[in-house]
Amino acid sequence: MSLSHRDTKGTRILESKIQSKAFQELSQAAETLVNPEIKRWREQGGKVLGYFCSAMPEELITAAGLLPFRMRATGSTGTDLSDTYFSSINCSFPRHCFNIALQGGFDSFEGVVCINSCDNIRRIYDNWKRQLPTTLVHIMSLPRKTGKPQVEWFRDEVANLKLLLEKHLNMKIPDERLWDAIALHNETRRLQRKLYDFRKLDNPPITGTEALAVIVAGTAMPKERYNQLLTELLDELGKSAGNTDYRARLLLMGGILDDPAYVKVIEDQGGLVVTDSLCFGSRLFWNDINERASDPITALAQYYVADRPSCPRMFGDYERRIGLVREMIRDFKVDGVIVERLAFCDHWGFEQFTIENDFQDDNIPCLIMDREYILSGAGQLRTRVQAFLETMGR
Amino acid sequence: MVDKGLERTIAERDHFEFLLKFLEESPSETSHLLIPLVRANLEHYKDTVRCIEEGKPVIASYFSNAPEIFTAMDIHWYCPVAAAFAGAGANPYLMNDLEGTDKLAVSSDICTLLRMAMYYTEAGLLPRPTAIVGMIIPCDGIVALHEASRRSKQWRDIPMFAPDPPYFTDERSIDYFAQELRRMVDFLTEHTGQKLDIGRLREVVEVTNEQYKLWQEINELRRAVPCPFNWGVGGGPFALTQNRWVGDSRGLEWFEAALADSEKRVKAGKGWLENERIRLLWFDVHPTWFFDLAPWLEEEWGAVIVMDMFSYCPYTLVDTLNEETMFHDLAKRNLMDTTMVRQAVGVADNFASDIVRIVKDYKIDCVVWPAHMGHKDGAASVGIMREVCRDLGVPFLSIGIDTFDPRYTTPDEVKNRMSQFFTAMGLG
Repeated sequence: MSLSHRDTKGTRILESKIQSKAFQELSQAAETLVNPEIKRWREQGGKVLGYFCSAMPEELITAAGLLPFRMRATGSTGTDLSDTYFSSINCSFPRHCFNIALQGGFDSFEGVVCINSCDNIRRIYDNWKRQLPTTLVHIMSLPRKTGKPQVEWFRDEVANLKLLLEKHLNMKIPDERLWDAIALHNETRRLQRKLYDFRKLDNPPITGTEALAVIVAGTAMPKERYNQLLTELLDELGKSAGNTDYRARLLLMGGILDDPAYVKVIEDQGGLVVTDSLCFGSRLFWNDINERASDPITALAQYYVADRPSCPRMFGDYERRIGLVREMIRDFKVDGVIVERLAFCDHWGFEQFTIENDFQDDNIPCLIMDREYILSGAGQLRTRVQAFLETMGR
Repeated sequence: MVDKGLERTIAERDHFEFLLKFLEESPSETSHLLIPLVRANLEHYKDTVRCIEEGKPVIASYFSNAPEIFTAMDIHWYCPVAAAFAGAGANPYLMNDLEGTDKLAVSSDICTLLRMAMYYTEAGLLPRPTAIVGMIIPCDGIVALHEASRRSKQWRDIPMFAPDPPYFTDERSIDYFAQELRRMVDFLTEHTGQKLDIGRLREVVEVTNEQYKLWQEINELRRAVPCPFNWGVGGGPFALTQNRWVGDSRGLEWFEAALADSEKRVKAGKGWLENERIRLLWFDVHPTWFFDLAPWLEEEWGAVIVMDMFSYCPYTLVDTLNEETMFHDLAKRNLMDTTMVRQAVGVADNFASDIVRIVKDYKIDCVVWPAHMGHKDGAASVGIMREVCRDLGVPFLSIGIDTFDPRYTTPDEVKNRMSQFFTAMGLG
């Protein structure tokens, strides 16, 4: 199974019916770590700041004049180096990521900011500090709950990060710049929601594979450029006849999934992924940051702790989380749900259990899948999806 | 007919009743320390049964939730995961429960204890509490367990509150956690009708302060060579400060007796073992099958577990000046001291500095990280532990066990691994 081919320069290109240059650029960004837009940014003297977790207020990074890059390990082939620091019972995402870091893959980054997202990721911070010469390595404490006290706590965390960036870069980040960054990122969210609106159609002009590539690209290039490319893509999609050759419409749920090839395996069986609840997906953009809040730091804290769709890492928010998924099932005319989980993820392990029970009660077809960060069990995935579609009578 | 949720509790009560009688009739060198612990457990189970039968409030809660507050509010509580330690740790239901847990559609790479807790809930094996005070610290698994428990068909109508733990341990974090504890009190009042009397809280805390002071003294005596105590002592202080007889003067008497015992041994130059050859730091909690492993370590290798995660805490004393100081210091104690929480929450410097300090203070010959399959943060810290130990010049062993399931790595396999390690390092 191959999702992509390589061009004359050896760069992987996503196979797609969408032929526009905009889509090619976006998909290339998803299939590489250092894409042409990042190269251009750096050639112009720009700096890149890596961050883990979709709860990172990346608007602050933009406002500091840095390019926020959501950490991933695209292209990783092994964990030989990081296995000294992690164990085989750790999730493969941080192991691959840290392996690339030890290989020097992120050496050009100005810094890396972690969140205590999970037990695996939070230790990347500790190992990074000890093993790598990166000058700016920081961790933020994200609350486990989503109430007002938690928003206030995280407000201080965001303010602390702002101070840290200001000190590191020897600059001030005025509120106006933060508001501008919030507006810019909200524009990205609005465009991404438009993209998903197309997926509600009976003949969606974009597949789940392609959509994932587009969303991943948004975490790896300057937002102005991304918005421009996405606008071009949306124009093209509006003129497309769309896809009708599918057996079922699926919703994909889970944690970190940044590899369109995984979705392609599903879609190759006839299951068109029409929407998702992923942290490289709808959870990034389902609603906006309040641009009329009293101050930008509070607006960021409110959004990242309480307003945006949560993942199982947050306690006490299951009903809102699953409520949103149920709305999506209705609005996107979803026939079945696939809940994928990176092996050894405790958050999604219990969440799968709860979702399966709840969906069983509601007669919503549901397939529970475990996977590794690097696509390795394509055969098994193919068989499971085939069987799943058959059980749905598709 | 006995309520299903009480069956196990009643069996536990009866087990401890039998055990108490047996110990009273067969005195040994350690009876004076064992009997109070058994009595504390017996009372606990009796109280649980009584409260359920009489319709009095019972809450399901966990350690690290400032249990002094429960005592001061006169609310009985039990810990759901304690069911895994049934039969005073010998757990006669273990294999059946593990099979039941395996059938649950929860991934088997998640901590077995937490999966078992889900099984107990789903199978209706726990007394039905009035309210739940959850614990969302120190690992992802326990957060996820509580979120799943909220949706469990058995428990979804039971109100739950969980104090939110910040990741750091600075003053801002302590103040934040103190506010969470205050919100916990409001929650308890709302759902049990019980109120917090600050004078009573002071009385309770004054007792636990004394307990913590004595615990510190006991631990300091464990520095002696040979070590006056063995592995079994760690569970006692943990049980009596966080789970049973919290703020009860009888708990204090146990600490006094344990300290007197240590002092006597140290003064006589007597160790727990006649021929102590290896001083070991077991850097985790005790497996449920430790009864098999630890005596073997002593007999076969002369290895004494001088320190472990159950035992090591920095003994924050609570300033009882006023309500504010008490909440502040209870927050600090429960955020920074308690078993596993201290080691697993926050940045790796926390546990790394503990290893350094314990190795130096307790003259440790080797550090064993058992590597419980559920401790993902620890698994992601193994390189740091290894480097810390290398810098200290102390051998380090990471095994890979399941603290609650002896099928994962059998006790015999663990013994082999440890024997090879001791031999290779020239220990013992």
